[in-house]
Amino acid sequence: MKYALSFTLNGFPVDVLVKPTETLLDVLREHLGVKSPKRGCNGGDCGACTVLLNGEPVRSCITIALTAAGKAVTTVEGLAKGEALHPLQKAFHEHHATQCGFCTPGMIMAAKALLDSNPNPKREEVREALAGNLCRCTGYVKIVAAVMTAAEEIASAKA
Amino acid sequence: MKDVLYFAPQKMSEALKLLATHKKKITILAGGTDLVPKMNHHVLKPDILLYIGGLGLDYIKKKNGKLVIGAATPWSKLVTNSLIAHKAAALQKAAQTSSCVAIKSAATIGGNLGSASPAADLATPLLVMDGQLRLASARKKRLVALKDFFKGPGETVLKPDELIVEILVPLLKGKSVFLKAGRRKALTLSVVNVAVRLEMAGKTCKDVRIALGSMAPTPIRCYQAERLLQGKVIDQELIKRGAAEAVAESDPMDDGRATAWYRIKAGTALVCRALEQAAGMQA
Repeated sequence: MKYALSFTLNGFPVDVLVKPTETLLDVLREHLGVKSPKRGCNGGDCGACTVLLNGEPVRSCITIALTAAGKAVTTVEGLAKGEALHPLQKAFHEHHATQCGFCTPGMIMAAKALLDSNPNPKREEVREALAGNLCRCTGYVKIVAAVMTAAEEIASAKA
Repeated sequence: MKDVLYFAPQKMSEALKLLATHKKKITILAGGTDLVPKMNHHVLKPDILLYIGGLGLDYIKKKNGKLVIGAATPWSKLVTNSLIAHKAAALQKAAQTSSCVAIKSAATIGGNLGSASPAADLATPLLVMDGQLRLASARKKRLVALKDFFKGPGETVLKPDELIVEILVPLLKGKSVFLKAGRRKALTLSVVNVAVRLEMAGKTCKDVRIALGSMAPTPIRCYQAERLLQGKVIDQELIKRGAAEAVAESDPMDDGRATAWYRIKAGTALVCRALEQAAGMQA
């Protein structure tokens, strides 16, 4: 049995037919071809699938897709404005806060949620916001530095 | 592969009717953070999913001297809500120190209790605050004290046609404290967690509750230890005896997170520390 699901993806309305057991990650990757959210553990442990649901970070791999009905989903694909990268994307690039890159989209979305609610975070707050996102290549030093830089850039753009 | 049905009612009466009709075939879905991993890993194959996110059970309010928390209230609201911060500090601390931001935005208080994990972090603070659950079915409504709710790992007194509607927390006196030991700081299940509530009259213990998590097949109240402290002058010696008694009432096991031996050691230390903090003997 499939059910009609409508939600907003990066500002655009989408309609898909989904099974009740399919997750938001299944729908994004398999139905809609949105490949930034990654399937890591598929159990909510690694954070690589993190997207925003009505502005709040969620694990798309353990979110039943039908529960996103009528809500707004944001992924990394929705961050850049044309050719202009989002300050977080730019800062991750400049700090080389990626190695294999698998955890990066989840990191960026978790960081986006933080900066949206707390535009001027302390280092410790960044670490706490990213505590549920695992990077297995390296430490988290450059990732945290990138988020701090992005926060500064967003603040200076507003000033 | 079997066809799974999905219902997302907007009215409580509809939800209870569905539960009355389909009973055990229904799996209740709220935040899904405990349920969906089991589905993804094929440990659990539901026939019917009943999503309760549309029932308006996301609220925290004060009514008749009690905090009333809707069963589908996410953990993130327990962290940020000022009523919880002022009236249920141990519950706030438990929500704060558990899991991570992207889980807390989805995971619900009712789900944490309904899943009945022995390590459920919200259970111990609610046990020491004499928490109650309001359950509803199409037949009747009833109140169950949390101390009588858990039956075993994943097992509760909830009937197949019942739903957890809200959690009631009496506004009791005394200071409540929650402490947890995990294998790391974030996103980890408790190796042991402890909650205490202590009401003092000068240096004497007027009323006390002690609860342990991840130390038995369910989160437990430590009644013997509570009796030992009740009405006595609180000092280091008594706290040590109380903690030993509390842990003696538990039944910890070896698992992937820790050994029973470690749980006894850590549990004893945490009960001591929690009682000291609640008594104002330690910052």
